[in-house]
Amino acid sequence: MDNLQAIMPMLIVTLAAAATMLAESFRLKDERMPLGGLGLIGLVGAAAASILLWNRNTTSFGVVQSDNFALFINFVLVAVGILTILLSSQVIDREELPAGEYYSLVLFSIAGMMLMAAATDLLLIFLALEVMSLAVYVLTGIRRTDAAGTEAAFKYFLLGAFSSAFFLYGVAFTYAIVHSTRLEAVALAVAGRSDVSGPLTWLAVGLLLVGFAFKVSAVPFHMWTPDAYEGAPTVVTGFMSTGVKAAAFAAFVRVFLSSFEPLRGEWVTVLSWIAVATMVVGTVVGVAQSNVKRMLAYSSIAHAGYLLVGIIAGNASGKSAILFYLLAYALTNVGAFGVTALLATRERPRGDLADFAGLWHSRPVMAALMTIFLLSLGGFPPTAGFVAKWYVFGAAVQEQLYGLAIIGVLTSVVSVFYYLRIVVLMYMTDSRAEYEPPRLTATGLATLGVAAATVFYLGVLPARVIELATRSIDTIF
Amino acid sequence: MTPITPAHYLVLSAALFSIGLIGVLVRRNLIVIFMSIELMLNAVNINLVAFSQQWQHVVGQVFALFVVAVAAAEAAIGLGIILAFYRNKETVNVDEITLMRW
Amino acid sequence: MNNAAHFPLLSLILFTPLAGAILLLFVNKRSENAIRWIANIFAAAGFLASLPLWFWYDTKSPAWQFVEKLPWIPSIGAQYFLGVDGFSVLLILLTTMMGVIAVLSSWTAITTRVKEYYVFLLVLQTGMIGAFVSLDFLLFFLFWEVMLVPMYFLIGIWGSDRRLYSAIKFFLYTLAGSVVMLLGILAIYFSYHTMTGVWTFDVTEFQRFNLDRNLQWWVFLAFFLGFAIKVPMFPFHTWLPDAHTDAPTAGSVILAAVLLKMGTYGFIRFSLPILPDASREFVPMIAVLSIIGIVYGALVAMAQRDWKRLVAYSSVSHMALVMLGMFALNPAGLKGSIIQQLNHGISTGALFLIVGIVYERRHTRMISEYTGLSSVMPVYAAVFMFMMLSSIGLPGLNGFVGEFLILQGVFVVSKAWAAVAATGIVLGAAYMLWLYQRTMFGTVENPKNEKLPDLNLREVATFVPLMIMALWIGLYPKPFLDFLDTSVGAVVARVSPQYSGQAVTKQADCPENVAVNKFVLAGCETPAAAPAAPPPPGNVQPAPGSTPPPATPLKTTGGQ
Repeated sequence: MDNLQAIMPMLIVTLAAAATMLAESFRLKDERMPLGGLGLIGLVGAAAASILLWNRNTTSFGVVQSDNFALFINFVLVAVGILTILLSSQVIDREELPAGEYYSLVLFSIAGMMLMAAATDLLLIFLALEVMSLAVYVLTGIRRTDAAGTEAAFKYFLLGAFSSAFFLYGVAFTYAIVHSTRLEAVALAVAGRSDVSGPLTWLAVGLLLVGFAFKVSAVPFHMWTPDAYEGAPTVVTGFMSTGVKAAAFAAFVRVFLSSFEPLRGEWVTVLSWIAVATMVVGTVVGVAQSNVKRMLAYSSIAHAGYLLVGIIAGNASGKSAILFYLLAYALTNVGAFGVTALLATRERPRGDLADFAGLWHSRPVMAALMTIFLLSLGGFPPTAGFVAKWYVFGAAVQEQLYGLAIIGVLTSVVSVFYYLRIVVLMYMTDSRAEYEPPRLTATGLATLGVAAATVFYLGVLPARVIELATRSIDTIF
Repeated sequence: MTPITPAHYLVLSAALFSIGLIGVLVRRNLIVIFMSIELMLNAVNINLVAFSQQWQHVVGQVFALFVVAVAAAEAAIGLGIILAFYRNKETVNVDEITLMRW
Repeated sequence: MNNAAHFPLLSLILFTPLAGAILLLFVNKRSENAIRWIANIFAAAGFLASLPLWFWYDTKSPAWQFVEKLPWIPSIGAQYFLGVDGFSVLLILLTTMMGVIAVLSSWTAITTRVKEYYVFLLVLQTGMIGAFVSLDFLLFFLFWEVMLVPMYFLIGIWGSDRRLYSAIKFFLYTLAGSVVMLLGILAIYFSYHTMTGVWTFDVTEFQRFNLDRNLQWWVFLAFFLGFAIKVPMFPFHTWLPDAHTDAPTAGSVILAAVLLKMGTYGFIRFSLPILPDASREFVPMIAVLSIIGIVYGALVAMAQRDWKRLVAYSSVSHMALVMLGMFALNPAGLKGSIIQQLNHGISTGALFLIVGIVYERRHTRMISEYTGLSSVMPVYAAVFMFMMLSSIGLPGLNGFVGEFLILQGVFVVSKAWAAVAATGIVLGAAYMLWLYQRTMFGTVENPKNEKLPDLNLREVATFVPLMIMALWIGLYPKPFLDFLDTSVGAVVARVSPQYSGQAVTKQADCPENVAVNKFVLAGCETPAAAPAAPPPPGNVQPAPGSTPPPATPLKTTGGQ
């Protein structure tokens, strides 16, 4: 039983997923079942398990390590999951989605994400990555009759599988060099030998880098992002833009800042250029978008760039900045996609920019919430986004990466331009969208309200969470 | 006759991987693209097994088995998605996927 | 300080407007008059809360006063650290006073979305006060950015014609400047840590710290971008005419009176004392930009056909003069610069109110639309006359005092600069008088102007405090100058120590003060007497040959 401790959170979520699936199959036709409730119980259970495991640094089977780092990511994922499930019920009713499958897929992918953050073996990271990805591919295309949805799912799947192959090839080369797939063995081998720096090592590091870059949607491996984000149901977009990113970055940090840290000289230049390209492309192309979901997709690419800056800085504050950033970004982005999702109707599911016109007149609360989330995405104090950006760029300045920091802040200024476009549309145009947006349900209001309040809390009094983030990185590195 | 060394396996798997890579990039049929990705995964398997043999170390072979299993799962999901896509669009040619900008 | 011993006065001043904004959120948006009353009451309460600063502030003490210090983000060393010196007291009083006036002046001007309007105005007020009272750099930056959003909405929603364009331009310009400034803040923060091992954003510590010269140079540039855009200095001024022109009246008033002071405040509070070496190096550049700004602003103002735009360009010119005085880097220049900031707040704020009054009645700002207003609106014409004379620096009114001190300070440094600056002042008189002549004199030619009502009681009430202040500063500026002695002295001691003997005007008073306060007044003592000061924290190593850091011990009065 001791051996299972570290995988308790994932186990609980997986059980909840299985229970949801079973409940669905026992459901009579037209019977209403609170399937989401099962998921919420599972997620709360996972959070409770994570709290119990805090500071204990438990290991299961030598390949899953529930250190504080992984547990912090667990909290982020639980937050994302709970928000997503709460926002989903309205969408599921509206779009007539299969509730049981939907919730169990969400939960399975969360289990995969948690595993990915805690895995200390490249093989297990690969498995977790696939568990997560396969579920998310299906979620993307869960509106089976919607052409855009299936197209998005297909593109996402194809490029995802493609990147998995790169990742695997990198793992194979790593195995060839160090005779093991354990991260600590890799770290030892890489640190202890001077002859590791050769073509094989470059290939291994490069291919792993490509694999991760795909998953975190860094330029030039970002092509799938806008399409997948646009085609997926909006709630799912919110979920995958935050959850997948959190998990992928967790594994990215673990692999590159612990195992391959001694080879830093080999990859840091490449990664710096990737980060610059990601920030620039994410903001500049984002400006030209006319669809909110596409725009937020480019914004998410840009945010991946800022997170990469944290990895490049690689110091203690960079690492804890990544954790804080992931949390802040998760809450904000789920919120922004949540507003977009709840605004959509059956006839207008795509989230065109024009749908936001004059929103302040028709749905002032939603407009206010959206404004808060957008300001946080743009990095405005006193919101979580500001503290997160400040923290990341602070880490870069600390390492004297002034160039990266300057590009970072300038691109975030440009990105504010497109966030403001939505604000302008909502508040400052006289035109109205020609449809009546649906009312905000009590659940929706409560969920988004809590997210917005947390965004403010993290922006005004971030001390505690920063403290947690700082302590989370002590254990692994 | 020269013995087969790990270098041979490496070259073989690199060749397979490249064929798969090129296939993904140039072919236009969804199914063929998908098969090319499977080819890339199998290239990785060759690599793993070769090194497993070389180092007399079982992890590589276990890993290869996992990859095969995952590839099967991926195929199931992938074909499902392709089918759903085909029902909507009646085509499996990527050039006709134009609903959203690629 | 004094009887304020453990009372968090600054927090009270800071959060009164915010409390009003939060209260307003819960008021039904249809009860517009209730909303107006609440907003006015909270603005007035904020002003009343700030009045004790005037009476309780100890002008003799060089210490930071009304200090409140609480941990905020301990892990990175950020604190909730508030405190004021004479300079910030004056700006806070200006802010709260202009806040009352801006809120009062909006009573009839704003008829749509009243609730949101007052919420934004009050949040803006908190942001501005927060920037003036923060002694923690991160806290300052937070408030600095917080100001941006409400102002953006004020321009974008309640503005005129090209409001969207102006609002976004204002937003992006300021944001771009401030994020670069943030990088500068971070550079100081990490450099301080490298030298001392302490993580802090404490501005008072930074002011005693000698940064590496090379780094100073870069950080100065970063700060310069942030502050110069806000001032705005030529060539970063282009957002200002647009923002001013399209903002609603209250927005223009706040923008001119307070927001522009953020830039100059930043220079005096941060750039000069923290980066003294770089500040000296950059004097020529800033002086040239300021002189260009003075002349250019005045010339362009003269060419304007839009009344509000004219006032906006006059702002560019006046603020350039403020910058020139500041970078004379001597006591007279700095004092004049600060007094002129107050003057600019008072007179330009009033001029925007004056434009706003006819705009509210006629909905046009074109100067050519108005002639002979003095015959239909005599009270209005009188008020305009008064404020215009204040703006062009007629002796006896406030403008004169500031301009005189600035010219005196600049003259010491360079006679040529002073000469050009004086030309700019003459040009300023020219465009203002010409404007007055075109709009007020002559006969009423436009039939729409024949029935214009004169100022009502509420409108007069908005001008009265401004006129009183203009007269007060003009006739008896001593109380204001007294407020500045110690804070200017501290800055001068840092940035140009050769002047520090002159920093305090009343040399004779010094010995008693020292005896009473047991603090060294930076301006009173020659550097040789400095050992009497409490030693600076041992871990800060003054660079060889540099002056000993001025002692500005913290006088803790708040809830430490």
